[in-house]
Amino acid sequence: MNMAWKEMKKNKARFLILGSIVFLVSLLTFIISGLANGLSHDNAGLIKDLPPGQFYMTEDAEEMYNLSKINSETQDAMLTSHENAVALSIQLGFINDESDKQRSVAFVTSTDTDLFEQVSSGEVILDRSLEEEGIKIGDILTNNQHHGTFVVKGFVDQKKYSHAPVAFISTEDYQEIYRTSEMQLIFIPELETAQEFTGLQSYSNQEFLQTIPSYSAEQMSLNMIVWFLIVISGMLFAIFFYMMNVQKIGLYGILKAIGVKTSALFRMMWTKMVVITVIALGISIAGSQLFNSLAPNGMPFNLSIQTTVQLSLIFLLIGFIGATLSGIQIKKVEALQAIQQGEV
Amino acid sequence: MELFAMEGISKTFINGELKEDVLKGINLSLNVGEVTALTGASGSGKSTLLTIAAGLQDATDGIIHFNGKNLTTMSSEQIRKIRASEFGFVFQFAHLVPFLTVEEQLLLMLDVAEIKLKKIEKKKEVNRILTLVGMDHRKSSYPSSLSGGEKQRVAIARAIIHKPKVLFADEPTASLDSKRSIDIMVLIRDITKNYNITTLMVTHDEEMLKYTDRVIRMVDGLVFAGSN
Repeated sequence: MNMAWKEMKKNKARFLILGSIVFLVSLLTFIISGLANGLSHDNAGLIKDLPPGQFYMTEDAEEMYNLSKINSETQDAMLTSHENAVALSIQLGFINDESDKQRSVAFVTSTDTDLFEQVSSGEVILDRSLEEEGIKIGDILTNNQHHGTFVVKGFVDQKKYSHAPVAFISTEDYQEIYRTSEMQLIFIPELETAQEFTGLQSYSNQEFLQTIPSYSAEQMSLNMIVWFLIVISGMLFAIFFYMMNVQKIGLYGILKAIGVKTSALFRMMWTKMVVITVIALGISIAGSQLFNSLAPNGMPFNLSIQTTVQLSLIFLLIGFIGATLSGIQIKKVEALQAIQQGEV
Repeated sequence: MELFAMEGISKTFINGELKEDVLKGINLSLNVGEVTALTGASGSGKSTLLTIAAGLQDATDGIIHFNGKNLTTMSSEQIRKIRASEFGFVFQFAHLVPFLTVEEQLLLMLDVAEIKLKKIEKKKEVNRILTLVGMDHRKSSYPSSLSGGEKQRVAIARAIIHKPKVLFADEPTASLDSKRSIDIMVLIRDITKNYNITTLMVTHDEEMLKYTDRVIRMVDGLVFAGSN
């Protein structure tokens, strides 16, 4: 007999309240997780989309890539020894559209590679967010530090850096704007273990992300909120089932006296926990995916099904642990105590 | 015929330096088809003896024979299985599961006792027992809508649905008025006779002893046998 289901049916209001709280907490967790992921892409989409590999910048740059200047001999040697290696530079700057409106962008240039967009001098490829702001293919853009103009050749999706849309330009144009002939970084894809290069410091993709100003602080805060919410949901289960178990100590004792196994009482509690959590998470997943599709374009929100499923499994695990901890009372209760108590 | 017997049962509670001998070497055998009542003043040890007999707590010393087996040497899981399938319990309060209907309370007991019957056969058996205790008209009711006497009738039905060999009843009429108490006692006596059950009951109500076959008076952890 499914006692758990019968109990939930009889005490709908009580379980509806718990389910609603789990739904709200999980929905909030999914939304904050989506926001964290969205902001992460907004901050470093350019880097996050790269295959795993190793970044190199000069040691004296002290983890600030924009201070790194890799000399041409070192660059040539590395590009020769690793044929898929690429030298690149990233700098925040401004670009003026045809109405002379100034827009913040991250200029990116690189040596010949498939990993970054390649353009000729006088051309630019932009992140699609600028298309949504009214810039079109063929528009003429300018920069105060550059003598010529940039013709918009196209747009690419999800290419942002430090919350600014990326503008891919040629190395010649980059060197003119920033008055430098040296590249800041070298990226060697598919290089699992870092190789030593004199005067250079290596960083994995994840380590490099941490060097982006504000990235780690932003992600740490949001992830902390997500984990707090997960822990809170676990505590909710523990407290709720503790309260329910305390009220039912007498009943559990009687059930044990008539021969019900302790494991059956635990199964009953776990069934309630799983049913409530699965229903609440199901509604929550549907709600968060709806939010994902309806969120305004300007909102950095990115919630994948994979992340949602991972978080849901964690919710189930934490709920299980919370409910089980509170169920220790069930194990402890003596049939004799219950008989000596009054009516349950 | 003797189904259940206790030999030299003693129980000592130790609380710090205080040592209290609640039962002092009790010998008692129960006969099939008889209601045996344990009676005595509060603190005489009658409830302790019943709970030891039912395997709900251990004796300090002594042996309990049930159906040719020694309960005192069994593991707690073996005793649980015996409680589930061969013992029935009625307590002072009905202690029904609040979220199960009357019918479901009895179906639960059949599951606990691992009675191998088809669902429809289980329902038939439940109906039969509910008719026996006069509660068939309330089978879809929840405990909250039953009177004290009705709850106790359901508790008795739950205690016998799985055809136990021994029925333990701890003050089954203590929470009822005198008319309902008599009804319950008559029911317990009739069931004991008709189903050949061995019943051990604790009561402090002298009036209820009229409905038992044998009365065991307990004083300070010792028994003084007698009969009706």
